[in-house]
Amino acid sequence: MKKILELINIVLENRDKVKLEEISESSDLRTDCGLDSLDLAELTVRIEAEYDIDIFEEGVITTIGEILNKLDLEKTDE
Amino acid sequence: MKNILISGVSRGLGLEITKSLLKKENICVYGFSRAKTKEFEFLKEKNPEKLKWMSYDMSNISDIRNKIFKEFIGLKTPLHGFVNNAAISYDDIITNLNYEPLLKMYKINVFGPMMITKHVIRQFLLHNVKGSIVHVSSISAHTGYKGLAMYASSKGALEAFSKNSAREWGERGIRSNSLVAGFMETDMSSTLSVDQKNRIFKRTSMKVPTTKRSVSETIIFLLSESAESITGQNIHVDSGTI
Ligand SMILES: NC(=O)c1ccc[n+]([C@@H]2O[C@H](COP(=O)([O-])OP(=O)(O)OC[C@H]3O[C@@H](n4cnc5c(N)ncnc54)[C@H](OP(=O)(O)O)[C@@H]3O)[C@@H](O)[C@H]2O)c1
Repeated sequence: MKKILELINIVLENRDKVKLEEISESSDLRTDCGLDSLDLAELTVRIEAEYDIDIFEEGVITTIGEILNKLDLEKTDE
Repeated sequence: MKNILISGVSRGLGLEITKSLLKKENICVYGFSRAKTKEFEFLKEKNPEKLKWMSYDMSNISDIRNKIFKEFIGLKTPLHGFVNNAAISYDDIITNLNYEPLLKMYKINVFGPMMITKHVIRQFLLHNVKGSIVHVSSISAHTGYKGLAMYASSKGALEAFSKNSAREWGERGIRSNSLVAGFMETDMSSTLSVDQKNRIFKRTSMKVPTTKRSVSETIIFLLSESAESITGQNIHVDSGTI
């Protein structure tokens, strides 16, 4: 979760958007995190570079929890 | 250091672009083609640091990410430009059209380049680079020639793809343009008869072939920051075919 927050904040920072303090499993990527479709593309690329998994390859992802599921990550703070 | 990916570097226009780019400072060319020519090998020996080459057949679409981006360029290397130059021509009149050669041409001229563009843009995003993409198109997509309908259609597809890439990614500073080349003297055009060539030249203002030099210098300009406000365009370098 920490790593994902870090990657989201890199994207937000690149777009001069306000960075997030925290995220939860239920956070919506668009409405809660403030990412648009091009931001999400950048996030996918950053996640892929880190975990070698393209999270959007098979279908739509709307929440942080869905990303964690895709990556098989523990839903802890780590 | 600016890193530029070029397809079809072994001969013809691709070799010319590579040669001109290597004369510039701080440029590294990542090029691929299926085979190497003597001339390309010579160029590579002279520029061991600035010119990297891999054998890759673009009709092999499923390996593009692994082979070109992960192994050859490496995800850690920022990419600044892509020249989609490699192509083949399937020439015949439409009533003789066969699906297999048509599909093969589309894989090399359109589907492969589209998949490479996907990963090029992803690499731009990963490194926060305002990169530039240039697709090499052909005057045949704008002026009809007997026997070139299939080939011309593949270039028309690229031009539309380029324009839409420009619109989609413009707000990230990523640019995409098509270089519409006129008839050049290369292997691709070597099968044309003198008579056919003369008929093509007659339709140009200058009545001469388009030079590889003029096309490649324009491509290098479109890659550069001097072209920072040019995107979504079809730039004609075609001896004035009007
Ligand atoms: N010549 C003209 O009159 C003319 C006019 C307008 C536009 N164009 C365009 O200009 C561009 C360059 O053409 P050219 O005249 O320089 O052609 P060319 O002399 O035939 O060279 C084509 C290059 O593409 C490579 N290539 C071909 N098939 C490939 C594949 N499956 N995978 C990877 N590389 C491949 C070739 O290397 P290998 O064979 O070793 O793979 C070679 O390096 C093309 O996009 C062409 O459509 C040409």
